[in-house]
Amino acid sequence: MEDVAKELLSRLVRRIPLVRLRHVLGRWERLSKTQLLSLDFTQPKWALCENLLSLCEENEIAVKDLTEIEMLYRSEYPDQGVWHVFQLVDTSEESLSSDFMHFRDQFKANLKDLINHVSIKMKKLEDESVWIRIAWGGNFSRPNHLKPTYVVHHLQTPYVFVSSLANKHKPLLFQALALSAHCGSVKDVNLSGRCLTALRDLSMRQYKQVFPSRHQKRLEERDLLPNPSIENEHIKLAEYKQQVASEVFGDGVLPKLETAVYKLETKYREHGSENLARRDEPFRGVVKFSSSNLLESLKYCVSSGMASTPVTPLLSSITHKGRNYFVIKDKQHGSVPNTSASKF
Amino acid sequence: MACSPPPATPRSGRAPGGGKSYAGRSRRSLGVELTNIGITPGQLTGLRAPTSRGFPKSRNITEHVDPEQIALLVKNEWKLSYVTPLYQFRHVQLKSYSKQLSAFIVSEKQQGIAVEIGLETNFKVVFSVVLGLAETEDDAETVFIQIHSKPPFAGDGDVPKIIWSGWLTCVGGNPDYLRSLPSGFVCLPLFCASGSESLTSLVKLWFERTFDCSFGTLNLNSTYLQWLASMWTGCHHVSSIRYLKLVWNLPAQPPLDISYTVHPQDAWDLWNSVREQDSTGDTIGINEVERFMKGLESHFFRHFRIYLSAGMLTKVSTAFGSAHCDGKIKVCTLLQPGIFNIS
Repeated sequence: MEDVAKELLSRLVRRIPLVRLRHVLGRWERLSKTQLLSLDFTQPKWALCENLLSLCEENEIAVKDLTEIEMLYRSEYPDQGVWHVFQLVDTSEESLSSDFMHFRDQFKANLKDLINHVSIKMKKLEDESVWIRIAWGGNFSRPNHLKPTYVVHHLQTPYVFVSSLANKHKPLLFQALALSAHCGSVKDVNLSGRCLTALRDLSMRQYKQVFPSRHQKRLEERDLLPNPSIENEHIKLAEYKQQVASEVFGDGVLPKLETAVYKLETKYREHGSENLARRDEPFRGVVKFSSSNLLESLKYCVSSGMASTPVTPLLSSITHKGRNYFVIKDKQHGSVPNTSASKF
Repeated sequence: MACSPPPATPRSGRAPGGGKSYAGRSRRSLGVELTNIGITPGQLTGLRAPTSRGFPKSRNITEHVDPEQIALLVKNEWKLSYVTPLYQFRHVQLKSYSKQLSAFIVSEKQQGIAVEIGLETNFKVVFSVVLGLAETEDDAETVFIQIHSKPPFAGDGDVPKIIWSGWLTCVGGNPDYLRSLPSGFVCLPLFCASGSESLTSLVKLWFERTFDCSFGTLNLNSTYLQWLASMWTGCHHVSSIRYLKLVWNLPAQPPLDISYTVHPQDAWDLWNSVREQDSTGDTIGINEVERFMKGLESHFFRHFRIYLSAGMLTKVSTAFGSAHCDGKIKVCTLLQPGIFNIS
């Protein structure tokens, strides 16, 4: 076996938890049943790795077979690393092809036209998503299988999810995508996170939304309470907050986002600091919200009163626009709006 | 210049286990960062919150302290504790303490009380004195402790690794209090530790048994962090703070962290605008600190309509260093002499 293959295998064994590794190896279909049974998953990882290496040498496994383990692992457990969402723009209905074979051949040919040393692996999963693994090489170097880029694309949708993409490879990937999907260009939608399904749901608006309703829910009679009218007011207020929180952030299980970042370039306008308010320059800063489930946390802030209602468009834009990176500037008259900036 | 005299001792003499009363003084003893972070006599615990603080006296620490020793103090993040005065501690016996503590650690590890048995077999403890940190004659010299260890399978040529370090210090302690201690007691009220929790607790245990003292946790409350944010920002025109970062934690479900990183020049401009007209350059009032924080919070509120006051300020950091509410501090740079001479 080549050194690259050995390095890749030991890295995979080290990185993948044992339970998942067993599952993935079972799906891999390169080891016979007896070989699989001979592996002891209670061993320390280094010993397991040795045994696996000798089995792979026996079966003459090559690098491209090993990359399949990685691809199986990434597609079975997609919530690893940070995914960035991009959008194919200037597409027409018919141009979004649903033919995987056609897309695959086009993409491979287009990317290989742009860069000589590149290794591309593509497959289509049952949920119609296309997974692309790209190992990039340089002008004089072979593709680096240890730092691959992953791209997930649902055919017939304009969204592309990308993980571990170096800046220098960005133009190459985007050009190949644009050519093979017959679109004008690829645009950053400023949405990123670890949970792939959440990003898909947010960008395609597939989570459970609540629409504004003017109908107040009928309040239950509460005769037993000492002062029903005060209690009623409290309940009304609490219900109103709940309703607003659900309208803005959705209902049920919310898509899992970890962060939202706002670059503030607005003027300082508070009272008592007239010197600061008079100057022309904005008050610069970066605000970052983070939580294990950001939308749940924000929704809780609104419903519990830690955030005042109505909810500012800055926060509601996360779900309404499907993005979590914003540049906030003051409205300016007569200037061309910056595409990445939200006016406030 | 320090504007207020050091706080009066709440009680004279040694009060065994009178933990909190020492905590106030120990903050004064943060040593190196005293010069950097801008700590002056006052209270940490909020028992007697100061209403104004002065910028610390300008003191070129590099003239007094060996730069190599300073490097040891600035590179780590330290977990703070307070310590009651040590009984029968002698700076001349550090060599013997080194032997005793290493023997103690080995024996404790072998009892299986601590974790990681067998991982660190060869412990070597080194006590040393950091001369020059003490500000007055009453301050005891700072004691620095390092624990080196050789991994069990290391070759002969391998140098033992430093696996734990810590120091006990007293900088500018209240002279009335220090003089009131009965003879035989040495006051080194601030303990800073960096390394595994298990070793920290072993070192504490050894000190408690050997010198009849006790350790307690030292947290940094929101008010204290606000003072730091203001005082650091106030130094920006002398030495760049590069950024002012404040982190709040809101009790949402799940908990929400909000970090606000402000451009240094803009933070400084806001700070200038909240300073009182008649304030002299070298003292800061609590009103100014409150207005500064309110200014930042209301600018945040105007955008996000979230009440930061519903949560807790948990961390403050600039290029000078960082301080976390759970009692962890880090000092990143040593400022140039004269930094606090604002005229």
